[in-house]
Amino acid sequence: MAILKKSAVWIGYLAALLALPQFFDSVLAVSIFNQMAIAIVFGLSYNMLLGQGGMLSFGHAVYFGLGGFLAVHALLMIEVETVYFSIIWIPLVGGFIGLLAALFIGTFSTHKAGTVFAMISLGIGELLAASSLIFVSFFGGEAGVSGDRTFGPPFFGIEWFQNLEIYYLAVAWVFIATVFMYLFTQTPAGKMANAVRDNPERAEFIGYSARKVRYITFCAAGLFAGVAGGLFALNYEFITEENLNAATSGRVLLSAYIGGLGYFIGPIVGAVILTLMNSLLSNYSDLWMLYLGIMFLLTVMFLPRGFAGFIMMHQLAWVRGKIKSLLVPYLLTGIPSLLFLISVVGLIELSHTDEAELYYFGLSFNSTAAMDFILIAIVALGSLLSIRRSLPQLRAAWEAANEIPESVDEESTS
Amino acid sequence: MTVLSLNDVTKNFGETEIIRGVSLAIEKGEKHAIIGPNGAGKSTLFHLISGLYNVTSGSIRFKDQEIQNKQPYEINRLGVARSFQVTNIFARMNVFENVRCALLWSSGYKYSFWHLLGRQKELNEKTMHVLEQIGLQKKALFPAGELAYAHQRALELGIAIASGAEIIMLDEPVAGMSHSEAEGAVELIRRITEGKTLIMVEHDMNIVFDVADKISVLVYGKVIASDRPENIRANAQVQESYLGEVVTSA
Repeated sequence: MAILKKSAVWIGYLAALLALPQFFDSVLAVSIFNQMAIAIVFGLSYNMLLGQGGMLSFGHAVYFGLGGFLAVHALLMIEVETVYFSIIWIPLVGGFIGLLAALFIGTFSTHKAGTVFAMISLGIGELLAASSLIFVSFFGGEAGVSGDRTFGPPFFGIEWFQNLEIYYLAVAWVFIATVFMYLFTQTPAGKMANAVRDNPERAEFIGYSARKVRYITFCAAGLFAGVAGGLFALNYEFITEENLNAATSGRVLLSAYIGGLGYFIGPIVGAVILTLMNSLLSNYSDLWMLYLGIMFLLTVMFLPRGFAGFIMMHQLAWVRGKIKSLLVPYLLTGIPSLLFLISVVGLIELSHTDEAELYYFGLSFNSTAAMDFILIAIVALGSLLSIRRSLPQLRAAWEAANEIPESVDEESTS
Repeated sequence: MTVLSLNDVTKNFGETEIIRGVSLAIEKGEKHAIIGPNGAGKSTLFHLISGLYNVTSGSIRFKDQEIQNKQPYEINRLGVARSFQVTNIFARMNVFENVRCALLWSSGYKYSFWHLLGRQKELNEKTMHVLEQIGLQKKALFPAGELAYAHQRALELGIAIASGAEIIMLDEPVAGMSHSEAEGAVELIRRITEGKTLIMVEHDMNIVFDVADKISVLVYGKVIASDRPENIRANAQVQESYLGEVVTSA
């Protein structure tokens, strides 16, 4: 019973992953889920470095990309029957390569955390991105390399023609990778990674070499980034230089940050949000990168602990049963905030569009008429004023819900 | 039996000589205090023994091996643990985890990534025992960075003593505490260093004379006297260079 209770979160996680295609089964949906699965593993591996080990990397895509390239080459080798194994093991090939790369690069990049580490990671990233265009036989130049996942022995009759089949395979790997990354946080090496992040000097005075602790975390992160790269290779059946360059490294940093660095589930939340924005928003607006940038800025400014941090902020109020008292203030501020957001986006879209007419939320606006701009601006201004009025209420409600009663306070200071 | 000995140790920072030939012998079980005016080199001496700094010349022996210029973690593993003058804890981890981390190496876990800490019953019990010793068992799940100052100092001590090291080095353990807090801290120090060798840097002379059974006076990088407390009190040279003003003003 206790075991069941402990693993309830994990069962729920697995069930949610497995159930997703039951609700959304379009080709687009499944392709988004596959991207999400890859992003979750990659994001979690990034968080091992930054959230757990305090190493800010601008080159984590190196391990993702190298794992992916070798995985595609493994697919090619299966195709010409140089090797003979089921493609379900491809993520392990990626992981192995990620680990090898990290084992080597870590020997000189983990001496120090901070700026030194960040600069070396940036340098390695640029070095590899540049060499990927030089060593054409391996990296395939700008076109990249492509393979075919349908060769090799079928797995219980499955021959991997469908993206949905790949999704279920990805779920298995995502689940395994998540469990292992979580378990790592509970081991001596994992906890010492936290300790070295907080205070490398003191860690040395309790018997641990800060550098060695960082090295172990770094290698584990490389391993799981490689697994994500292997999943990428299986899903897309091709990989290019883009998948190991600075843009990919930047995106994983963004997703881990938006999700929340301090929490294990942070990168999962971030991966889901970013994948959705990436694939859905880009269907609606060419400006989605702008919105992504704005969202990142707003997260850094107002939710420094990310979306996971925002959720966890409510723990105290939840435990004390006061979460209900926050509902009305949240709505009073939330609705005008949403309205403000919609009207500002409307203004941006209206000034950006080349067409005379813009359909937005079922309404038709004329991008040449000043009146339409003024109308939306009035809505924006009105909602902003409304937020200003309701915000103090929200603040007061928040403080009331999180106030520590005096009796408890006394006990805790005594 | 001498457990720790310094033999003509010097330390220069560029042209400046901070430690100018210090020789000391510390006996097993001794409670040894190092006193001296500001800038005398007390903290530097600590950093040299614990491995944060390399010596310029001279040697430091722990039992039968030379430890000068070894890495801090190597010295710690031999059984020399220390605390810091400025609180030096793992701020974002909770109190329990701070102490448990300090126990990991001496419990033989090394860099293991195959033990789950939640299942290490003995380790977790040892951690709770240390928390009881330093009086923080009720704060076990509290983030270390948010503790009250006196509690952070207690945790600082806890991290230092957790591993069960033979030599405990405390750098101004009661700095910044109120009088009553300091009294509590002295009690704590006495309790947790029972049967161990203690080396302590401290400015508060009442505490020094209360706790120590041997005192070394460090002035401008040299030990001018090293003796039992009553002899130190009576030493004219010490009186002149340091003690006189402090004792009368305290």
